[in-house]
Amino acid sequence: MKIIGSLLIILTSMAIGRMYGKRYRDRPRQLRQLRSALQVLETEITYSLRPIGDVAAKLMQQLPKPINLFFKQLTEELNKGLPLQGAWKEAVHKFWQGTALKKSEQDILLQFGVTLGQSDRENQEKHIHLALTYLEREEFEAREAQATYEKLWNTMGFLAGLLIVLLLI
Amino acid sequence: MSLDVNTIFQIAGIGIIVAMIQTVLKQMGKDDWAQWVTLIGFVVILYMVSSLIGNLFDKIKDVFLFQG
Repeated sequence: MKIIGSLLIILTSMAIGRMYGKRYRDRPRQLRQLRSALQVLETEITYSLRPIGDVAAKLMQQLPKPINLFFKQLTEELNKGLPLQGAWKEAVHKFWQGTALKKSEQDILLQFGVTLGQSDRENQEKHIHLALTYLEREEFEAREAQATYEKLWNTMGFLAGLLIVLLLI
Repeated sequence: MSLDVNTIFQIAGIGIIVAMIQTVLKQMGKDDWAQWVTLIGFVVILYMVSSLIGNLFDKIKDVFLFQG
């Protein structure tokens, strides 16, 4: 009976540690998806010259799970009749709660949203490249953080469980 | 008697686990956390030891100061 209880405690704390580590595991992947989404956006704007509502609707179907919610949100906001910049801002804010991304990426996207639709094609391309560069740097940092902290949280979960069990015996 | 041995093993186990946690935290560059963990582990073990010694004193009182 005692053994079963202590096993349960250790398993639970390991699961909690994994949950905390998951944030660090998800962040680089979502950043990469965000970057590829922006690249598609760039091609669509500079070569296909399609309006952004169509592009968002298309990206919504193409992209994998967490990131396509952003474009879904954006399409919804645009359908409500908001102007593009306001819709982008709203979509970023609503999309952020369900992701592992941080405030710095949010700032980059918001900054990019302000420039969206303000200028001609070449300038727009430059702005997209700027945002991409920033995101790339963020991804690099996120990867380093993942290498350190994911393992740390996993180990800490297990050790903390062991400690609790020893205290309770 | 067996209770005493169990308590000693428990204290030893807590010490080992705290040392491992401290090593991991220090390796990851969280020195302040490592210090806090060590301090808390020390306090917990000190509490256990002091309650044991308190028991011992009570027993001594029972034996020698009988009329209490």
